[in-house]
Amino acid sequence: MTFTGMVAPVYDFSDTTLANGLRVVINEDHAVPVVAVNLWYDVGSRHEEPGRTGLAHLFEHLMFEGSAHVSKGEHLKLLQAVGASLNATTWGDRTNYFETVPSHHLELALWLEADRMGGLGEALSQETLDNQRAVVQNERRQSYDNQPYGDWLERLQQLGFPEGHPYQHSTIGSMDDLEAASLGDVKEFYRRHYAPNNAVLTLVGDVDTAAALALVERYFGGIAACQDLVGPPDGSAPASIGGEIRRTIPDNVPLPAVFIGYRCPPFGTPDFDALSVLSVVLGGGRGSRLYHDLVLEQQLVRPSEEFVGALDFVGGATLLIADLHCAEGVHPETAETAYDAVLDTLLRDGVGPAEMERAQALLTSELLGHLSALDGRADAFSQHATLFGDPGLVNTRLDRLLAVTAADVVRVGRAVMSKDNRVVLTYVPDEAAGESTADSGLVDAADRAEVPA
Amino acid sequence: MTVLIAQRPAAGEPRPYAFPAFARHMVNGGMVIACHLERRPIVSMTLVSRAGAAAEPAGIEGVANLSAELLGQGAGGMDAHAFAVAGERLGASWFAAVGWDATQLGFDVPNVSVPAAAALLNAALVAPALDPDELARLRDERLDELVADAARPRTRALRELAAALWQPGSRYALPQGGSAESVEAVDLAAVRRWHDTRLLPGCAALVLAGDLTGLDVESVGATVFEGWSGGAGEAVGTSAAPASGGRRVVVVHRPGSVQSALAMGHSGPARGGADEVALTTMQMALGGTFSSRLNYTLREKKGYTYGASAQYDLRRDAGIFVAQSEVKTEVTGAALTDAHAEILGMRDAGIRDDELIDVRLQRIERYPLAFASPRGVAGALSEIVVYGLSDDHYDRQREQIAAVTKEEVDAAGRRHLRVEDLVTVVVGDADVVAAELGGLDLGPVEVRADG
Repeated sequence: MTFTGMVAPVYDFSDTTLANGLRVVINEDHAVPVVAVNLWYDVGSRHEEPGRTGLAHLFEHLMFEGSAHVSKGEHLKLLQAVGASLNATTWGDRTNYFETVPSHHLELALWLEADRMGGLGEALSQETLDNQRAVVQNERRQSYDNQPYGDWLERLQQLGFPEGHPYQHSTIGSMDDLEAASLGDVKEFYRRHYAPNNAVLTLVGDVDTAAALALVERYFGGIAACQDLVGPPDGSAPASIGGEIRRTIPDNVPLPAVFIGYRCPPFGTPDFDALSVLSVVLGGGRGSRLYHDLVLEQQLVRPSEEFVGALDFVGGATLLIADLHCAEGVHPETAETAYDAVLDTLLRDGVGPAEMERAQALLTSELLGHLSALDGRADAFSQHATLFGDPGLVNTRLDRLLAVTAADVVRVGRAVMSKDNRVVLTYVPDEAAGESTADSGLVDAADRAEVPA
Repeated sequence: MTVLIAQRPAAGEPRPYAFPAFARHMVNGGMVIACHLERRPIVSMTLVSRAGAAAEPAGIEGVANLSAELLGQGAGGMDAHAFAVAGERLGASWFAAVGWDATQLGFDVPNVSVPAAAALLNAALVAPALDPDELARLRDERLDELVADAARPRTRALRELAAALWQPGSRYALPQGGSAESVEAVDLAAVRRWHDTRLLPGCAALVLAGDLTGLDVESVGATVFEGWSGGAGEAVGTSAAPASGGRRVVVVHRPGSVQSALAMGHSGPARGGADEVALTTMQMALGGTFSSRLNYTLREKKGYTYGASAQYDLRRDAGIFVAQSEVKTEVTGAALTDAHAEILGMRDAGIRDDELIDVRLQRIERYPLAFASPRGVAGALSEIVVYGLSDDHYDRQREQIAAVTKEEVDAAGRRHLRVEDLVTVVVGDADVVAAELGGLDLGPVEVRADG
């Protein structure tokens, strides 16, 4: 129990591994006649090989295009027709597939997931690959290339990780690499990563554990394990970037914006938890320091309830990111300087008990809200089982966050949020850059910092 | 050697389902609607009022949004920062949102903190600071937001479509949060007038949805409504006169765009029509799901886009129909031709039997999912308040969905897909796309500079 009186529930679960290596986590919750089905495959963009960026995500698309007993388009059609909400995502460390269905349709969801886990290979064709390649290239255009500031994360990853690091490239991948992906690449990717012994299946909701387990055994039990699984690549990296890397990007943006990335310890470490608390103190909610100083008092940046946050990568290192969207008429250097002042004060003078309480209360209600939804809870179980080997960590997640002290926040903040460990991207409107090159220093700033080896 | 089960399984026996039970209480002159949801500890505490953007006076459009926002910028003797911190130390997150027909404000709050958050909500309603400096800041923030929205291709296309579909001066022709000019004109007197004549307890209700175990709902309601006076205000509609331009194409030139944002639409019916269930069934088959005709053709067959959809936005006084997508620049004309053909096909040939079966089932089966979360339930209960729906509305609607026929759906399509009135907006590189658009039979083409 926390100081606010909030109590984090402990969710009972069963944890079983089938003979073929599929790990199955089941948590019964009969509040509504619904069950969340969630499958994590231990493969993400960090597993991609040079020249094949974007393959993990492109592959995710192909998982909806038919399998041994399911025709093209049928997977989505059948699930939507029973009222399901469903999707899949690809990220640095994972690819997850999930559907929330009325509980009397659980068996349909299991059949569909098993069919594509074990029987995708025979349905893969050049035609569906070409179609989904075009769809993904349009996804890239829509979310990155044709969107103001759309490529900021791709740029931060490129500059914030060492050359060749597994997180140095974006999950969406480059247009050229997407173009180059062949049917052979796709089939080999499937063979090496999509197997029961490389996956966690979680069911949360209106099910009977024993009956659900029997169904899982029936549909997934016959799928062969992969004998030569490929584990994650080595993600170790120096703790610090070792310098300040600055880039100015004249682009089709309405107002300037500054994105700052710091290399930091990965998700799953106590230091990452300390950064989670620090993120809220500094830039989470409307009561944060950045909101107070930069929005309410100085009116330099557009309001945000999440100015700061870290990517939840687990392999060796990750990035803590701050983003500031300038208000009309505000020079990005002014915003950046004001941000630095807020950060410096915090790291110099520390964090008070009231600020810690505010951060802890917000983190607690956020976690409680996330876990009380069947789909959020199912994803959390799969996540902790896949990345850390222990679904039970879901029940102690809050304890770890609340164990962070004000001293931890300052210690880790000082280690991570320094000027010699950051990438600073400054987006400026195209025409402003053209007009003010001479005196603003905006364009001159590009490339002036040394890129560490 | 992998062995799979070839046979697709049949559905199991469904558990009986009804919309979550809720209760009404009158306390301190205010209506409280409470819905207990087991094991959902973050309660949605929503004050909903029938004071939406559509009821705003001409010239100060945006006043509803700024008034709602300003209530959270200090109250009960606290300034904006202190008010924010007071809520957040309870684990409560403040929200204020204005739609065409309603204002919603309140907290997502852990159930143990509901009484304390209720006192903060009461302070915002009866003792807001209404600081003119904070209002000036909110106006600037809204102006920046307008600039940012205009730079995003999709939001830009929808904004241009609205401006083209309604007569100048119609509220619906402007963005929901107002235009730059009208936002500039909102002063503290306008905000006070809005509070005194629109944001009133008589046209509002407090909706509580979540795990209410151990909470005295009436006492929470009494706290929120304490000292909040005023009647119900008069009902105000909006002028919703459609423009009479006919079919035409508006191209907003965005040089160098690698995609074109497309929006095709026309004005449409208001909420609550007798054929609303038939209409929305047709819409789902045309563009409401992944398997719908628009998405299937433009994405899965042609690879032109990441997605395509069609919706009706049904408001109290009128609505709009809009089909939209973002497509690779080079296929702009081809995508518009295909989208137009799908709309025409649905109007003329109607829904297929398999589509009707799938959409009906999908909508019926979706109920327990849609109404599981505190926010989902609070949203549904808010609609009951705003549109004066019966307490058994959702259960009855589910029966209507199950009973809708092909004849009804096709009649709704013929009536509400007005292909001859379609206005097409393209936000993209006019140098590449404009020339071919004239040959598409979508009406005369007008090219505008971005800005």
